[in-house]
Amino acid sequence: MAGVLEVKNLSKSFDGIVVARNVDLTLQSGRVVGLIGPNGAGKTSLFNLICGVVKPDDGMVLLEGKSLDGQPFHQRVRDGLSRTWQHTRLFPSLPVIDNLLVGTHDYPGERLINVLFGPARLRAHDTIARDKAQGLLGKMGLGSVANDLVSDLPYGQQKLVGVARALMGDAKCLLLDEPMAGVEGQAYAAMQRVVREVAESGVAVCVVEHNIAFVRDLCDEGVFMFSGAILARGSLAELIRDPQLTELYFGH
Amino acid sequence: MEYLYGIIIIVGLYVILATSFNLIIGYGGLVSIAHPVFFALGAYTSAILSRDFGVPVLLAMLAGMLVALVASIALALPSLRVSGDYLMIASIGFQLGLLEVIKNFRFTGGPGGLTNIPPFLIRDFGRESYVLLVLAVMLGVIALVWWISRGDYGRAMSAMRDDELAFSSIGRDAMWMKIAIFALGSGIAGFAGALYAHYFRYIAPEQFEILQSAAILTMVVVGGMRTTWGPVVGALLLQALPQAITFLNLPPSVLGPIQGLLFTGLVLVFMFVRPQGLVPAKDIWRAVPRAKAEETR
Amino acid sequence: MQDTTIILQILWTSLATSTYYVLFAVAFALVLKVTRLFNFAQAGVMTIAFYTAFVVVQWLEWPAWAAFIVMMVVTLTASYALERIGFEALRRRGVSVMFVFVFTFMVSEFVAYVAMLIFGTWPQTIFPTIFWPVTLVGEIAVSGWDLPAMGATVAALAAFFAFMRFTRTGQFMIGVADNPGLAELYGIDKRQIFLVTMLIAGAFVGLGMFLYGTRAQVLPQTALSLMLFAVVATIIGGIGNVAGAAIAAVILGIVQNASILVIPSEWQGFLLYIFLFFAIVFFPNGLKLPRRRTRFGTATRNTPPAGDAPAETQA
Repeated sequence: MAGVLEVKNLSKSFDGIVVARNVDLTLQSGRVVGLIGPNGAGKTSLFNLICGVVKPDDGMVLLEGKSLDGQPFHQRVRDGLSRTWQHTRLFPSLPVIDNLLVGTHDYPGERLINVLFGPARLRAHDTIARDKAQGLLGKMGLGSVANDLVSDLPYGQQKLVGVARALMGDAKCLLLDEPMAGVEGQAYAAMQRVVREVAESGVAVCVVEHNIAFVRDLCDEGVFMFSGAILARGSLAELIRDPQLTELYFGH
Repeated sequence: MEYLYGIIIIVGLYVILATSFNLIIGYGGLVSIAHPVFFALGAYTSAILSRDFGVPVLLAMLAGMLVALVASIALALPSLRVSGDYLMIASIGFQLGLLEVIKNFRFTGGPGGLTNIPPFLIRDFGRESYVLLVLAVMLGVIALVWWISRGDYGRAMSAMRDDELAFSSIGRDAMWMKIAIFALGSGIAGFAGALYAHYFRYIAPEQFEILQSAAILTMVVVGGMRTTWGPVVGALLLQALPQAITFLNLPPSVLGPIQGLLFTGLVLVFMFVRPQGLVPAKDIWRAVPRAKAEETR
Repeated sequence: MQDTTIILQILWTSLATSTYYVLFAVAFALVLKVTRLFNFAQAGVMTIAFYTAFVVVQWLEWPAWAAFIVMMVVTLTASYALERIGFEALRRRGVSVMFVFVFTFMVSEFVAYVAMLIFGTWPQTIFPTIFWPVTLVGEIAVSGWDLPAMGATVAALAAFFAFMRFTRTGQFMIGVADNPGLAELYGIDKRQIFLVTMLIAGAFVGLGMFLYGTRAQVLPQTALSLMLFAVVATIIGGIGNVAGAAIAAVILGIVQNASILVIPSEWQGFLLYIFLFFAIVFFPNGLKLPRRRTRFGTATRNTPPAGDAPAETQA
């Protein structure tokens, strides 16, 4: 069955090191795929390849059946791709809510024409965007910190803001890069809930994670990567039980 | 009185140049020294069109602005396709190179420059009207940059400066935003060039050399990047300085280098002692004052 | 045949005059490679070098070899000061690319204005005359300047490449160029390496300006135009590739000289800018800039242009 995002035979090497080796992956609407594997397996590299930050040596990436080849990163995002970063990459000079506001799918304020000749249109957009941003923040329990600085928030909340920002663009496919790294407590529960809800709303989700409990509770299926290649696919339960994979994972 | 008008107009034009340059390097985060060359393009285009082709002055001025704008896109587009560092290098080449062209072309009057540039407004309304025109444009440019930096565009520019990769990851096109900023800033410089040409009615390549780049850069850096008033303060201060030393009655061969030393020396000192400039920029961008934001919710 | 003679003459003259261009290009490219810095302040060092030699020969009336030595000492001192007082301070503060650019640009301009003040704005040369005895080899005019210049340049380059390949410091320089963080982990003193790099570049600049100033006229702003040549050669040669920059400098010199056959002489200077544009437009992703930094002096948190590996840890 065709998926929202399809990766076909993707390969890439840097200086002789293979970071992606004939990778095939399909992300389907409403399902959460967990991408696991030891450090250096190529998981984040795969995200970078899908996003177009890195150009593959071979293979292709299709979003809703359309090849993304040659499309710059921001164009892929406008087509429906979205991702978060291992280190959040929030905008430190903007308050929390503005981090979200600049992430709407259409941002009329990025064109000078609108700034100079269409202030009414900007105002209208701003109202809608603010509602949406407040709603997202509220769902994550961050409603009260909307006007705070990113740097004032504890790390776990920052990561939630990162996910919220990624959700502002009505993405069809969401790539989460280690959303749980460094997160615990209330933020943990909130993150789980948010990812579940996003998937249920029809988005195809892929999560790179080291936190096995998180992945096991959340993901519909798992993909195990090692040295750039996908070694195994299946239910998380199966993957976790497999002694060979466990050795590969912890042996490193 | 005429002498005073000349000074006011020069100061006004420098404020326009510094403010528009601040838009490019302060708000846009682009590294470029090519501002004087767009000032020159506007001046020469307007002068040649009105003097040699009979185009009405106002139209010629607008054409000057357009030429500067288009030229800036021709510079920025191929460069930014690669990276901001390439723009930096290309801007050096563009500034030096285009000036070589102007110096060598008979069409632009060569090293001797252009004289007999048609006047504007003065014959009918007196010099005062031109002064008012320049001041009006100056205030307009300041207001424009203020408006742009405070609204949604300012939010986007701030995000782009913070983290361009993350900026792309939320679907924003950094390259075109930079090109737009560069084009607007350069177009404004072009219009300022036209205003200069039709008042002083004589332009020559030496007026648009690297000294100008250093001067404008100093005004922005010393005044304070990324603030509305920083470049204004910088321009006023750095216009006052050369005026002050003219009273020392130094020979022109010494005056030029001394002015250059003042500009460059000031920047170097400020960079080490007070890098944020005279008017420091706020680190955080906010749309409206916080109190108002709470109200509207 | 007439035509062959002209071509050979142009070739010979180009080779001779490319000597200083090669030295300037190598200096710029080397500093860029090892320290990841676009050193536009090199123009300032070039100006200092020239006017020092000029003063020693024309004002103090010392012999040429003394002028050369004094010039070298002063140039190396200037390079030392630039690195230790200037660049180190900027690195310590973690300033942005913009800041470094403004700094290097302003330093060069400052030096130019000092020169203007002291020496005026008319052209100068190191020796009172730039006319050298000409011998005819076959039908080619060979200036008395040519062979010593080429010999000195080749010797300097040979010494340099030997240094890079066979000494520990040279290897360390390459190590720091490739991966400064890793080099530090291995105990290489980055500070020392940066200083050595700047001093070597200073030496090339000194020799280059001595050659240039004994053959052509110099104004306070000349260095900046000469620098542009070095920058274009560095881009075309491939950033990070010092040998490439040297070769590109020679080729550019030949093309610029050969262009006299096709375009009027007043346009020759303009040709360089055309090259710059071509280099930028047609050599885009083929040439990789050194890993871009948002903060000068550090190698973390890069914003990679499309096509480069991001700095995110590979998961």
